[in-house]
Amino acid sequence: MWNYFKWELKQFFTNKKNIAVYLILLFLAVYFALKVAPSYEPIEKVDVAEMEARYETRDEFNKGVGGIKNKHTEVVYALSIFLQWNNYDKARIEAIREKDYLKYAKATAKWYKYSDQYIVKSKELFYNPLYYTYNNSFGHADGHYGYGYTSSRFTGYVEGESKLSIELFEERTALQTLQRLLNSYLPVVLFISCILFSVDIVLKDRRYPSLLKGFPMADWEKLWMKGLVAFLGSMVAVIPLCVGFIIIGIQSGFGDFSLPVPIYSYLEGTFTNMTMGTFILQSTLFISVWLLFFIAIILFLSLIVKTEFINLFVSFIVIAAEWLYFVRGMGTYTDIERFPTSYVQVGQIISGYKNFIYESWHLTYQNGLIIVGSCTILMMILTLIVSQSKRFKLID
Amino acid sequence: MLELKQIHVQFGDKQVLKDISITFQPGEIVGLVAPNGTGKSTLMNVIMNYLTPSQGKVILNNELQYSNKTNEVKIHQDVSMMPDQSDLYNHVSGKNHLKIYQAMWNSDPKLIDDTIVQLGMESYVKKKTGTYSLGMRQRLCFAMQIVSNTQVMLMDEVMNGLDPTHVELISQILLQKKSEGKTIIIASHLLENLEQYADRIFFMKNGELKLVDEMATGFNEEKVTTIRVSNFSQEHLEAFKKQFTELEVKMLPNGKTLIDVSEHKIALLGHITQYLISQGLFDFSFGTVTLNDLYSMEYQQK
Repeated sequence: MWNYFKWELKQFFTNKKNIAVYLILLFLAVYFALKVAPSYEPIEKVDVAEMEARYETRDEFNKGVGGIKNKHTEVVYALSIFLQWNNYDKARIEAIREKDYLKYAKATAKWYKYSDQYIVKSKELFYNPLYYTYNNSFGHADGHYGYGYTSSRFTGYVEGESKLSIELFEERTALQTLQRLLNSYLPVVLFISCILFSVDIVLKDRRYPSLLKGFPMADWEKLWMKGLVAFLGSMVAVIPLCVGFIIIGIQSGFGDFSLPVPIYSYLEGTFTNMTMGTFILQSTLFISVWLLFFIAIILFLSLIVKTEFINLFVSFIVIAAEWLYFVRGMGTYTDIERFPTSYVQVGQIISGYKNFIYESWHLTYQNGLIIVGSCTILMMILTLIVSQSKRFKLID
Repeated sequence: MLELKQIHVQFGDKQVLKDISITFQPGEIVGLVAPNGTGKSTLMNVIMNYLTPSQGKVILNNELQYSNKTNEVKIHQDVSMMPDQSDLYNHVSGKNHLKIYQAMWNSDPKLIDDTIVQLGMESYVKKKTGTYSLGMRQRLCFAMQIVSNTQVMLMDEVMNGLDPTHVELISQILLQKKSEGKTIIIASHLLENLEQYADRIFFMKNGELKLVDEMATGFNEEKVTTIRVSNFSQEHLEAFKKQFTELEVKMLPNGKTLIDVSEHKIALLGHITQYLISQGLFDFSFGTVTLNDLYSMEYQQK
C-alpha cells in the first residue's frame, strides 16, 4: 500500500497541472506581499494628523462654548463627552510623539471603548467615515464591530508582552496579515487549490488503464492513498504562500504567536482575545477538515460520475453556495448554521464575525467542525461502500 | 492452474466468446491466434475481470473466483496482464516503471536489474519513456510483466514492434519462465515464432477456441506429411491431379499449395519431386503443415 502511496505522491508532484497551481500560488503570494500588503490601508490606522485635527476641533469647541451660560442640551452633552474624549486623544498623540507605544495602546483601547459607548446609540455621532461606504446600509453596525474589535485588540496589546510597533497597531505584521487573510479569502484560495489538485487524482488513471488496472490492490485502498496524497499536496500549497509571508515579515515584522486576536461573542455583544497561535491552530484544523471534505466529495464523484467537470462544478458550488443565499441578518429567521456551506470562511467563523453579520449565535467553530466533519465522514463511508461494489470500478 | 468455465460474452447481437471452457496448466505456454477483432483481447480481459462475462467463471488454483473485490485483488496477485505500450507514463523513466511493478507485486527487487540486463535495456532504462521507440517501449512493457513475476502471465501482442533479435531474446525468456512453472498465455500474429515455444496453440473463430493440433493432421508430427509448393498455378493443379489422382492438393490464399502425403510411402516423394522439377516448379519443401498455412486456410480462404 505504501508503495502505491509513494507512486501516487510522485505522480502528484510531477503532474504539470499541479506544478502550475503551485507556481500560481507562489506568484500570488509574492504579488500580494510586494504590491497588495504594503498598500493596505486599515480603517483604524495610526494617523496623528487626524487625531490632532479631531483634538483641536473639539478643544476649540470646548473652549468656545465653555464660558456660555445658557447652552443647548446638545452642546451640554457634547461638552460632557468631548473633554474625556480629548484626554484620550491627547494621550495618544503624546504617546506617538514619545514613541511610548504601551501608553498609546492603553489610551487607544480606552479611546475606542469610550467612542463606541457614545456613538453606538447616537444619531448625531458617527464612527470612522470609512465604515459608511456606498450601498452599505450597515455602516453604523460595522463601525460598532470595528471599534469593539480595535478596543479589544489594543487591550490585548496592553495586557500582552509583545513588542509593540506602529506596524503591529495597523495589523501589518506577517502573522496579522495572515490572520486578516484567514478572515477573508485565504481559506477559499486553499480550497480551490485543493479542488484543482484533487479533481483528476482518480480520473487521470484512465489515461494509463492497462498499466494500472491490474495492480493487486483493493479500490478502497487506492482511494485512501489517493486521498492522503491529495491532502498532503494541498497542505504543501502552504509552502509557496510562505514565501509571501516571509517577504511581509521582512518588510513589516513577523509579529508573534501571543498577539491578541479579538473574538466576537454574539450573545454578549463583546469581544474577548484569543492568542494568534490559537487562532492559527484552530484555522489550520478547520481548513484541514474542509480539505478532507472536498477530497472526499471528489473521490466519491470520481467513482460514480467519472467526469472532471462534475467534480469541479460540485466542489465550486459548495464554495460559492453561501454567496448565493447570503443575506445579512438572515440567521434570525433561517437555520443557516445547519448548512456546511455557511462555514466556508473559516477565519470569520472562528473570529465570530459570521455570528455578527448573520445575527446568529449558532455559527461557532465547534458547530462548524461537527457539521463539516460529519459530512466528511459521511462522504468517506459512502465512498467506501461504493468502492466495494462490483458495479463501480476506478478504471473502466 | 487457471480454469475458464463456460465463458460467454456477447456485445449486442454479436457473440464474441461462446461457452469457452479451458484449463491452463503451470509450466505451459498457450498461444492464441486470430485476426484482429475476433475476441483474443476480450478473452484476456475476462481472465483479468476487466470485462464481466454474461456467463461463466474464471477459477484460479481451483478456489479463487471473481466473486467479490477482495478475491479480485487475490487473483491479481497471481495473474497479470502485460501493459500496453501506449499506456506508459511518458514523463517517468523505464526503471521507475519497473520499480512500481516490482513494488506492487512485492517481487524480488533483484528481478529489476536482471531483467534490464537480459533484455539489453541498460542504455535507455533510466531515460523517460517519452523518448523511447516503439520497440523499446514494447520491451519495457514485457520487462514490467516479468518483474511482476506472477504465476499466470497474459501477453497481448508481445512481439509488436520488435526486431528479430529481440523477438528471439523474448522467446528465450518466455521459455525460461515456462521452465520456472509459469503459465503464459500469448496472443500473437508472429505465427512462426509462436510455433517455436507454444505448447498449445488455439485459433479463435466465431467465439470458440480451436486447438490447432486437432485441426490439421500431421501438425506437430516429426515426419513428412506435406509438400509445400510455391507458384502453383491452376493449370499445374489440374495436370498434377491427373498425374497423382490419389493425392489431396490444397491451394491456399497465401500463395502456397499443400500436397498431403501423410498417408503415402516415401517412394512417392521421389516421383513427386521429379514431376515438380519437370514442370519447372523448383520452389518447394517437405515437412508438415505450418501455422501460417493453417491460418491461411482458417481465416483467408473465402
